[in-house]
Amino acid sequence: MWKTNLKVLAVGLSVIVFYTAVAQIIPQLESEVPETLDLSGEVTPEILVAAGERLFNGAGGCRACHGLGSRAPNLLTDHAGQGSIGRRCGDRTGADCKTYLRESLTEPASFLVDGFTAIMPDARRQLSQDQIWALVAFLQSQGGEVTVSGADISATSSGGGAASTPAPSAAPASFSGTADPMQLVTENACVGCHALNGAGPPIGPPFDGMGSRLTADQIRRGILDPNAETAEGFESFAGTMPIDLGRKLSAQQLEAIVQFLVGRR
Amino acid sequence: MIDALTFLQAAAETATGYGSFPAIGGRAAVWIAAEVHLMFAAFVLGVPMFAVITELIGIVAKDSRYDRLSKEFTRLLVFAYSATALWGGLLLFLLTTLYPAFWGHMAEIFSLSMWIYAGLFFIESFTLYLYYYGWDRWKVGRAKWGHWGLGILLNVWGSIVMFIANGWLSYMMSPPEGTTVQGLPEGVGLWNAIANATWIPINIHRLIANAVFGGAIVAAYAAYRFLSAKTAEERAHYDWMGYVGTFIAISTFIVLPFAGYWLGREIYEYNQQMGITMMGGFMSWLWIVQAILIGVLFLAANYYLWTGMGRIPGAARFIPYTKWMLLVLVICWIVWGTPNTLIASRNEFAAMGGSRHPLLGALGLMSGKNTAVNFMILTTFLSFLMYRRANQLPTVSWAKIGTQVQTAMFGLTSAVVLGYGIYGYFVPTIVRIGFSVYQVLAVLACIIGVTVIDVLMLRGAKSRGAIRWGEMPERSQYAIFVLAVTFTWLMGLMGFARSGIRQHWHVWEVMRDTSEFAVTPALGYAANMISVCVVIFLGLVAFIFWLGGLAERAVGKPQPATGS
Repeated sequence: MWKTNLKVLAVGLSVIVFYTAVAQIIPQLESEVPETLDLSGEVTPEILVAAGERLFNGAGGCRACHGLGSRAPNLLTDHAGQGSIGRRCGDRTGADCKTYLRESLTEPASFLVDGFTAIMPDARRQLSQDQIWALVAFLQSQGGEVTVSGADISATSSGGGAASTPAPSAAPASFSGTADPMQLVTENACVGCHALNGAGPPIGPPFDGMGSRLTADQIRRGILDPNAETAEGFESFAGTMPIDLGRKLSAQQLEAIVQFLVGRR
Repeated sequence: MIDALTFLQAAAETATGYGSFPAIGGRAAVWIAAEVHLMFAAFVLGVPMFAVITELIGIVAKDSRYDRLSKEFTRLLVFAYSATALWGGLLLFLLTTLYPAFWGHMAEIFSLSMWIYAGLFFIESFTLYLYYYGWDRWKVGRAKWGHWGLGILLNVWGSIVMFIANGWLSYMMSPPEGTTVQGLPEGVGLWNAIANATWIPINIHRLIANAVFGGAIVAAYAAYRFLSAKTAEERAHYDWMGYVGTFIAISTFIVLPFAGYWLGREIYEYNQQMGITMMGGFMSWLWIVQAILIGVLFLAANYYLWTGMGRIPGAARFIPYTKWMLLVLVICWIVWGTPNTLIASRNEFAAMGGSRHPLLGALGLMSGKNTAVNFMILTTFLSFLMYRRANQLPTVSWAKIGTQVQTAMFGLTSAVVLGYGIYGYFVPTIVRIGFSVYQVLAVLACIIGVTVIDVLMLRGAKSRGAIRWGEMPERSQYAIFVLAVTFTWLMGLMGFARSGIRQHWHVWEVMRDTSEFAVTPALGYAANMISVCVVIFLGLVAFIFWLGGLAERAVGKPQPATGS
């Protein structure tokens, strides 16, 4: 009886070990998580291109289709004898290369290349504005000149134009564990609307001097329930602030931001 | 005061997004609990399906063997139910403590269905107890039909429970348009969240897969009992039981790829990016591993059938064909396992001279793979046909013509499958994809047509001799174990594929995974996890089988199997 048991066990384990071993010898590929970019106005083309290349080959998922040329036009070497994407992008629609690439990422169905089907999603569903600009810069660098600058990033972060349509669910991670208020207000794109140190667009009340205008409880309530009250002078931007920010912060992070803002007198 | 309460409430709600689990981490803990729970759930949903079918055959044919077989299946269920509930409870605790924010989101949307789920689980359990413990009390006349009705109810409750749970997991893949972390958009209700884009195909796929899985595990139980049988009668009974379980597993398995194809198509329809991630992105190598597993399944199933012909009088006339069928299976297996456009490094591309192998790469195209898998299905069906006809001598006047028509149908189907397979290399991808439908339809038509002719032709057939149940070499039983382990491992692999294509999203493009385990792991790590789950599950199943043996010793031994 024990002999039978051992034989059954040996067969079962051999099969399991075989499949496990097969899975170990094939290429080991992980799906990457898009890195949160914090690109300031002084960002250099080199930084943008490097970030864009990482996105293109990894978490952006671009290479699965655009690297082979079978599902979508090849963007890295050549497509239909027109050269790489950085060379050919300016001839595509009459718009400059940067505008064309950005719009292709955010409205891909409008720029369908002959011979391919409309399978590409709007990049804003998965990527932040910074990440999209980084991709544009990388694609420009493939045979062309990189013209993306920090001004482009600031412009879209401040809410102008179709390209700034927020991806409500694609907000940066807030569970990074940090309790550094500066990192938190940057990571969560607060400074995209609230001026800090004299810089930033007037979409929401400035962080500068907030401590002298509001109490800690008012600031806390403003983060947890931003639509409960609208600051005077900012009525036209009511509803802009993300209502889920408070839920994504830990209690420690929430308090860190509140105390940081109370200190801005 | 109110401000302070607001703050405390908010602090409680936002305290943390993720909990931690010692040593293996939260993701691994949830992975194991979910997978083992799912394996048990598949078993307890699959087994009742053919428990009622075999009971019905027993009632209609007045053959007590089937009734006894059905009861034996059900006895395994009683123990397996407890294990399913225990692992389900563990999964729930792990989700609430390790992924509280995610679980809060799910509970906010699905709370009503969760209560219904729990209520139905109670009802299902009581129905099972009535079904099993009422077996000998309600065994004749109308009472027997009433008892069979309980079996039907058991299946109905079980299926609804599965459909509800499928609503949750399919929502994570394909939430309704406009859903946010806060919940469903205006005008979208619970039903819309459940009946999302991938719900129905997942329901169908899982129903079929459960029948396959249940059959395989029951066959493994029978194989073990065969190997440890003390008498010829016992061996005969468990040989027959193993055959029935394997037959159900393989015959339902044959249609599973079609359901999988539908599910894949719906995933593409919902979101092309998700579909491409699944088939051509970082998961593309997964399908090579799947091809290896399915190749093993086909080989083991055919080997079992060919070995089984040794106990059937008259089967010797078919044996010479088996070596050619083996050749077809192996060639098709190699074709199916050929990689196509895979994610590779620049160095790997350079070594191949392109994105695919210059010579063998052509076999990796969809046309080649579809052709291969259809020939594997046809070959396995032919094995079943030979097995079925081995000891039969048709007496109808049109037997010769009938056989010729069957042969012509096989030939025509092969021509259609091969023809479209070759033609597919000369047309654009979008056209080529459509060809797979014609190939599948041709194979299905052949299976149905040939079976109908065979059933009619063998009416009143003479027997060349009874099947000698029990006279089966031991090695054939190990093929059944290979089938059971492979099906279990395959279930784990496909679970990883379905869940992994969401990548770093708890709910696709709605709720991002921001934990330290947001990265979807590579296949090597996933394989380790799958193997751990399979070992845990099969270890517990072995324990349940042992308990089943103890219970049997208390009530008496099974009746011998006779006849064909």
